[in-house]
Amino acid sequence: MTHSLHRSGDIESQKTDYVWFMYQTKGVNDVDIKPKALEFIAVAEAVGSENWGDVKTGPKLKYSIEEIKDNLSDKSRIRGIFTRKEQVVDFLKQIKEKDLGMSVIITGVLSEVIPACKEAGVTPHSINYSLGVWGKKDNLPSETTLSITTMCGHHMIPPKFVDHVTRRVKKGKLTPEEGAKQLAEFCYCGIFNHVRCADIIRDTAAATAEDAKG
Amino acid sequence: MPAINQEICTGCRTCQTYCTVDAILFENKKCHIDADLCTECYVCLRMKVCPENAIFAQDLVGFYKQFQHVISDPVENHGVTGVTGRGTEEVKTNDVSGRVKKGYVGFSIDMGRPGMGVYLRDAEKVAMAMASAGFMLAPQEESPLAALMPDNRTGKLVDECHDYRLLSVIIEGRCELKKAKDVLRALQKVEKEIDTVFSVGLISRVDENGACEALEYLDELGIPRPHRGKVNPGLGRPLSTD
Repeated sequence: MTHSLHRSGDIESQKTDYVWFMYQTKGVNDVDIKPKALEFIAVAEAVGSENWGDVKTGPKLKYSIEEIKDNLSDKSRIRGIFTRKEQVVDFLKQIKEKDLGMSVIITGVLSEVIPACKEAGVTPHSINYSLGVWGKKDNLPSETTLSITTMCGHHMIPPKFVDHVTRRVKKGKLTPEEGAKQLAEFCYCGIFNHVRCADIIRDTAAATAEDAKG
Repeated sequence: MPAINQEICTGCRTCQTYCTVDAILFENKKCHIDADLCTECYVCLRMKVCPENAIFAQDLVGFYKQFQHVISDPVENHGVTGVTGRGTEEVKTNDVSGRVKKGYVGFSIDMGRPGMGVYLRDAEKVAMAMASAGFMLAPQEESPLAALMPDNRTGKLVDECHDYRLLSVIIEGRCELKKAKDVLRALQKVEKEIDTVFSVGLISRVDENGACEALEYLDELGIPRPHRGKVNPGLGRPLSTD
């Protein structure tokens, strides 16, 4: 799956959005992964990963960290987000030092991630580059809605629910942060960046209010 | 597949807000799930969205229905690859698996993404176009879609699957670097022949600055240079150096 690759929206906003993964390779290092997964989780927590999870349980925004850890199995996929480049650097440095042998991925804006790798003393081996969306794009949701829905690359977040949450924020029935957490619950992998989402909702609500005044 | 109990449904339409692909229709003052539009993602079931608890799961009858669910719902593991999500590992383990070596490039084509969904007939068109351009489609062990492909040298899917709609599915494989331009041209042609969208990922071994030769082809073909990427920093072991 390439579910963290094709996020959309304003580039500056994407610079507050990094996805980290630990990945086991089938037939090579995919047995008894729990101890290594726990080490990854410890580093991610120490560095302040704002959201992370395991698709087999769900995100930490919805489930307790202990519950996610208890449910870890060889079918687990551990992944989460950072909002700052400095976190990426610290994470890579610590994981490199631990030398756990599991594959690591950082997805994000390349002009930020590549320098982060250099600063952490790691060398990119391979990259999956996003060449964007092709085909019949006429019926896609708005760019603002996509900038939120694409943060769950499996597209578990319904576009209509994004509109629903945004409307409630505009009416003052939810804060942007509350709205973002409701949306995050749809993404079982734990890679939904609710911090960035709250910023997007806040900006959208403010722009609508300005339009109404004008 | 999910269904709505017509005796219980009050027609409040709450569930429509939660459908990822607008497959819940409102007719005769009740909601129902259109079986042709539904991708079996199970969001409506998992999120318990109905205030009256009218949505329930029915048995998934037949191989293709089960395939639809396993691919559309990332909580499920794909039976052959053992991987969750869309069932592929692509660049994420390339430092260990060495699937895409120097002198080659990989492509991961996310059919139906973002959020439009894809009928398998459209996935077939793209897979066949790529195969014709010299792209080696990944075998069953690496790619769930290949389970529907009797011969992965052609990209042709079994006819019976054509009318099934998935939330997304990945076409994946590799080719020699010198064929990358042909594959990209084939994608530029076939994007006009399908009724949905796809997101394109180009996978390559890279230098220390995150660059590779294939990026230079993009300028020639009028394709914007990428600003996003999924970076594998080579911490997996044993490290593939090919």
